[in-house]
Amino acid sequence: MREGIRPAEEVRTLLEGLLGRLTASEAQVTWRQSEGLATRFGENAITQNIGGASQEVAVDVWLGRRHGQASTNRLDPESLAETLARAEAIAAESPEDPEQVPLPGPQTYGERPQRFFPATAALEPGQVADDVARVVDAAKAAGYRASGLFEAGARAEAVANSRGLFGWQAETHADYSTTVHGPAGSGKAAASQSCRSRLDPAELARRAVENARLAQDPIAVEPGDYTVIFEPLATRGMLGFMGWVMAAREADEGSSVFSGRLGEAFLDPRVTLAMRTDDPELPAPLFGDAGLAIEPRSWIEAGVVRRLFHDRYWAAEQGTTPDAARLPLFMAGEDRSVEDLVAGCRRGLLVKNLWYIRFVDRKSLTLTGMTRDGVFLVEDGRITRPVKNLRWNESPITFLQNVVALSRAERSGGWGAMKLPGVLSEGFTFTSSTDSI
Amino acid sequence: MRELTDLALDIARGAGASFADLRIVEQQHSQVMVQRRSVKAIDRSSSLGYAVRALVDGAWGLASSTDLSRDGVARTAHQALATARASARVPKAEPARMAPSEAVVETRVGPCAEDPFALSEGQKAELLLEATDRMLATPGVVNAMGWLAFTRLHRIIANTDGSYLDLSNTFSEPWLSCTAVVDGESQSRQYQRGGRQAGWEWVREIDLVGQARQWAEEAVMKCKAEALPAGRYDLVLDPMHLSLTMHESVGHPTELDRILGWEANFAGTSFIRPEDVGRLRYGSEAVNFTVDNTLPYGLGSWFFDDDGVRMQRFPMIEGGVLVGLGCTRETAQLVGWPASNGCCRADGFDRFPINRIPNLYMEPGPDATSPEDLIAGIERGVYIEGQGSFSIDQQRRNFQFGGDLFWLIEGGQKTRPLKKVTYQAQTTEFWGSCDGVAGKAWWAAHGTPNCGKGEPSQRMRMTHGASHARFRGIQVGDGSA
Repeated sequence: MREGIRPAEEVRTLLEGLLGRLTASEAQVTWRQSEGLATRFGENAITQNIGGASQEVAVDVWLGRRHGQASTNRLDPESLAETLARAEAIAAESPEDPEQVPLPGPQTYGERPQRFFPATAALEPGQVADDVARVVDAAKAAGYRASGLFEAGARAEAVANSRGLFGWQAETHADYSTTVHGPAGSGKAAASQSCRSRLDPAELARRAVENARLAQDPIAVEPGDYTVIFEPLATRGMLGFMGWVMAAREADEGSSVFSGRLGEAFLDPRVTLAMRTDDPELPAPLFGDAGLAIEPRSWIEAGVVRRLFHDRYWAAEQGTTPDAARLPLFMAGEDRSVEDLVAGCRRGLLVKNLWYIRFVDRKSLTLTGMTRDGVFLVEDGRITRPVKNLRWNESPITFLQNVVALSRAERSGGWGAMKLPGVLSEGFTFTSSTDSI
Repeated sequence: MRELTDLALDIARGAGASFADLRIVEQQHSQVMVQRRSVKAIDRSSSLGYAVRALVDGAWGLASSTDLSRDGVARTAHQALATARASARVPKAEPARMAPSEAVVETRVGPCAEDPFALSEGQKAELLLEATDRMLATPGVVNAMGWLAFTRLHRIIANTDGSYLDLSNTFSEPWLSCTAVVDGESQSRQYQRGGRQAGWEWVREIDLVGQARQWAEEAVMKCKAEALPAGRYDLVLDPMHLSLTMHESVGHPTELDRILGWEANFAGTSFIRPEDVGRLRYGSEAVNFTVDNTLPYGLGSWFFDDDGVRMQRFPMIEGGVLVGLGCTRETAQLVGWPASNGCCRADGFDRFPINRIPNLYMEPGPDATSPEDLIAGIERGVYIEGQGSFSIDQQRRNFQFGGDLFWLIEGGQKTRPLKKVTYQAQTTEFWGSCDGVAGKAWWAAHGTPNCGKGEPSQRMRMTHGASHARFRGIQVGDGSA
């Protein structure tokens, strides 16, 4: 049952009280709370509708280099006492960790655009159901079938440690996505914001229905290398794996596509990847790993690899500052629309969305996946026909080396969100097709 | 707990719910993860919570909470009812109903010979470090990672049918992998048998330490192996590899909720239609699949599903023809079936139970055919061991799989290792190309611990199995780097 996010001072009292009961030389206590609603729909009807709330406390202790952790979602005194004792007992029998590094001391957290909106935290199931109704009514009016997930709520976390660090942060989220199916094609629209009132369900419905309308009756095209225009949602699929492989240690060990690339002009000069903290549409958290303050980072500048992610151990080994988080990821765009990218393409494929992306070869960062929710043949700067979905085998490195033009960046996704542009890129490899829609 | 479950169900009945249940879920989890010589995670967690699920005027509501006081349970029940009434604003074409199910009062405890929670996390970490040490001692290996996870799941399910179920299961889920770098090439090799419904005895049986060196040497071997030119080849696939192929291309498309369009926004739908049951030729006559949620040690053998339906064994594909689907109580009656076959599960107390892949396996061949016999029938092909890259489209037609270890077959024999092999096929063409399945002696199970589905995402466990099988003329190599 929702009771509201607990305020920082109340949580601080709880966490510092727990720290005071530990005998370990080094300790950290983390608290998380979430409250929310999730309404699923399919075949133009709500199929599942859930709501709930939970809290969790995790206790980390270090006895020298021996580490133990215990956590519980029961916050009564007896359960918390058991959790403290269990963490210490685990640490007492744990092997020494040669990579253990001291916890960070007190941090100064930067300013952020507003991340918590009380009205979004207090949304009721009926309000979300009414939003679903707007999408379903639009799909029905077109003779189509809508499915989706409308999710909203609040979440908070706090961390305190034995070196005096304390951090507390809270955010609200509203993540709406829908897929509209016609008899021979589908269209998707999705939007995520910190505040429900920034979402427009009617516009979401209009986009999904229009995408579905355009996607009907696709023709087959021969697999092969194509010029592609990726909408921002598809760009997110392609770059999602980048964040996970941009680790300095794996690069230093020789198992990453970024091995030996630091300082090198590796991608197209238009490609800039960064962690930003000031974007009001996608405000970064205040802190990440162990309460470390999240600071702006520039990973790729004008195609040159400037920095790779350093966890706290590898940063200490390499004599650099650690990176608190990998996400959110920002890729700068250019001042034009996706429609402008289409207009600038003589022959290619417009890709709306990707699906089931997996590694094929980690060293070269070759991935495979499918297109989904609309692929379109572009000829002489115009969309001419919808195309059947295709399997692709390609590396995001090649994709970003072959950039021709970018559109303006847009936020894409809820958890793990990114802000990325549409991308016009050459020589993208499709290997087979499917009748699936 | 009876007092609390009765309270919630009485409130739901009193408000006119046609069905309601209260599911209390307690989980204990022990996890140790090491990477190189470092203990990256060493923890125990516990959670306790419950959800009230109510069906009112043909619409669903679910409310979850951790407050097990009478007031808390009452408020949660009322919230579930209010949520169901909100759902009714966007109603189903046919009001949701539950297929009938017997009222059962039963207590069951799953297999666990050696309690993994009786061992310290330190002992588990020492075992993993010994394994990763052996891997890292192999020249060329730059990274090794091991993981041991144990979960004890305790569910109490009470529903308005009159059932009261008290069910406990223990899952052991190990993992070990390494990465080698040789002359700029990097390849990995990993443990393949997955998890089991069992205790520490499963960790003893798989002997991670004993096999670590061989897997490390094989990772180095893969770095030095040749890639295969693209083309059509005959394949022999081992049971661990087939477990993933069947999961993606048989398990998911035969989920009735996908077929009915309920997963269309994320997981996708299916190329199968309800009327295909009994008609669709899914594969060759050598292809037979069985669902068995009573399989001893199966990760999906939970005694009763989260609809309160007793778990079952039934055929899915017989002689290559589709004869069954996995369903829930709600989906069963939508296609005119009299009852559910027990494939409805949730991954936590706060999640809505959904149609999940059951324990599903390929039946062995009828005779004593061996993997070597299958290989002997191939002039030029590939033998694939274990699981690697995998991807399939949203209606489960077009797929691409890699593997963990690859061998060239020439003149009926395995000759030399390969690397970066992938194959692409369409589901029914692939299973239709199967012309040989090894006998019962080679049948082996793989426990899949992390099947993702649903929104919000839910993780689920199930066990697959197979003997080695041969497939003719499959497109290989387009995905190689």
